[in-house]
Amino acid sequence: MRRHHLAAAVIAAAVLFAAGNALAATPGVGECMDCHGDKTIEKSLPDGKTLSLYVDLQEYRQSVHGGTSCVTCHADAKAPHDKLGKVSCSKCHGDAEKSYAGSAHGKKLRTKEASGVPGCDGCHGRHDIRKVKDPASRVFRLNIVATCLACHKDRALEARYHHLPDQKLIAAYEQSVHGLASKKAGLTGSAVCSDCHGNHGILPADEPKSATHRQNIPTMCGKCHAGILEQYEKSVHGKGMRGGIADSPVCTDCHGEHTIVRASDPSSPVNLRNIPRTCSGCHEKEGITSRYALPKKRFSSYMDTFHGIAVEYGMTKAANCASCHGVHDILPSSDPASSVNRANLQKTCGKCHPNASPNFAKGVVHVEVSPKKAMGVFAVRLFYTIFISALVILFVLHVGLELYGRWTRRRAGAQSGKEGKP
Amino acid sequence: MSRADLASGQVIRMSLLFRVQHLVLTVLLLILAVTGFSLMYHDNALAQAIIRLEGGVHNRGIVHRIAAVLLMANVAHHLFYMLLSREGKREFQDLIIGRRDIDDFLQSLRYNIGAAAEYPLFGKYGYKEKFQYWGASVGTVLISITGFMLWAEEFSMRLFPKFVLDLALVVHGYQGLLAFVILFFWHLYNVHLHPSVFPMNPSWITGKVSAEWLRREHPLEYEKLKEEGLL
Repeated sequence: MRRHHLAAAVIAAAVLFAAGNALAATPGVGECMDCHGDKTIEKSLPDGKTLSLYVDLQEYRQSVHGGTSCVTCHADAKAPHDKLGKVSCSKCHGDAEKSYAGSAHGKKLRTKEASGVPGCDGCHGRHDIRKVKDPASRVFRLNIVATCLACHKDRALEARYHHLPDQKLIAAYEQSVHGLASKKAGLTGSAVCSDCHGNHGILPADEPKSATHRQNIPTMCGKCHAGILEQYEKSVHGKGMRGGIADSPVCTDCHGEHTIVRASDPSSPVNLRNIPRTCSGCHEKEGITSRYALPKKRFSSYMDTFHGIAVEYGMTKAANCASCHGVHDILPSSDPASSVNRANLQKTCGKCHPNASPNFAKGVVHVEVSPKKAMGVFAVRLFYTIFISALVILFVLHVGLELYGRWTRRRAGAQSGKEGKP
Repeated sequence: MSRADLASGQVIRMSLLFRVQHLVLTVLLLILAVTGFSLMYHDNALAQAIIRLEGGVHNRGIVHRIAAVLLMANVAHHLFYMLLSREGKREFQDLIIGRRDIDDFLQSLRYNIGAAAEYPLFGKYGYKEKFQYWGASVGTVLISITGFMLWAEEFSMRLFPKFVLDLALVVHGYQGLLAFVILFFWHLYNVHLHPSVFPMNPSWITGKVSAEWLRREHPLEYEKLKEEGLL
């Protein structure tokens, strides 16, 4: 029995010792708060500034990690301790860390000159991290814009990193239809930064893998605007884009990106008044019309019609490009399903002009005036131009001749001393 | 013609009715030109300023069409007057173009280059006036027809293929330009800058010209009035 007692005592001592050692090596939250619960605790930095080391316990307890312990993240923390190693989130959040490492932020963070580049804490916070769906989270849908703009609206930061997009352009999002929908109307369904740009794996738009690279834009917008994407995919522009034609317009070419506003807004490129100029941005461009063998003079020939002039002066009831050609579903006139296919013209014109007869729809519409495309108009114009010019020349000749005749007679009359015929 | 007029050597050339018709025509043509050309040359900054001044394309169109209707009423009144009234019939006789007018025109050319000794003798209206009158008449008819086609576009669309309306638009615009050119280079020269009337033939306001001017410029009319005992 005695031997048993001894063994028990030895084991108990060993356990107690080990436990004591363990307590000294991994402090509990309470022990950490002995120091870090003090609001005045701070550390001096080499540049003379001070860094507060205070941790708000209540904030931490309410955070998504509130149920864990300090050492879960600060694994090397002892009490007391010197400067701790960097916190790595990858132990638990491996996927996020991996996609972040390949992102523009991640790559920049690894360079030497990096300062102000957001790591995990830059967006998610530190001790106060909350779930994405928690309205108090910094990355909650309605808060994320403010989180991104905290840096991307900063002019100093823009100056430091030359590849950063113009802060004014980014900030224009706040006044956009998406920005107002989330900020003013409080809609969580409206697009925020991360919906288009992605989150951890964010990349600049010129990288093919970027969510905002040209070739990915329709799919990206289509995440929300699925019905529009479906129409677009069938259109000449969508097919061209999917076929690898980089000039073929994607959503942002017509609608803008950060500046997107409602089509009813006069500043929108797809406002009824602005549509002709927006479309002709490509369709009046010599390079594009020649390269893809498109009809030329789309804008000027339209502007010479009553429709064009009326729209230019604000009579938006008049037809703009989209009224006849369609919007997201534009098809070439050669396609039997196109609204401007010869067979469908009467119906298309008839939307506004119910009396348009099949006979009416036979003519060509806003083509360049050339003998090949519009012989009648070309010939009549030419006739009048020549006729009027000739008439002006003949008038001037007649007047000159008459004055010359009067002048010579008068001189002759004066010389012979007789009254010349006036 | 009053005795006082005759005593002072004044002859009536335009009766009050014609003066009113002429003045109405002048004002309406100016309105039509301003509203029409600003649309035809809508790329031009001045044209755009004018359109804005007129209250946009919509109001511009209303002004243009009101002026056009008044002009056509004026022309219709003129037509009936010329065909039915005693004064009109006489004027109409004077305005008929004949072989003689072509001869007069050629002779005036020859005279001016010194190849003919005599200047042609004109009646009340010489080839200049007749060209002006009939040119304006044909132009008015053409521009009225095309104007109506464009105005009643819903109706036109039922009848015509689109290219007919395209042509109507071109004809309407260029016919206007033609009228404008004739008025500026021909009419304004003949009634303002011509040496015999400079700075202005007053008859469009007073209705009268001097008997001496009539004797020199329209001798056949002068003789006729004399025979009729009106001079």
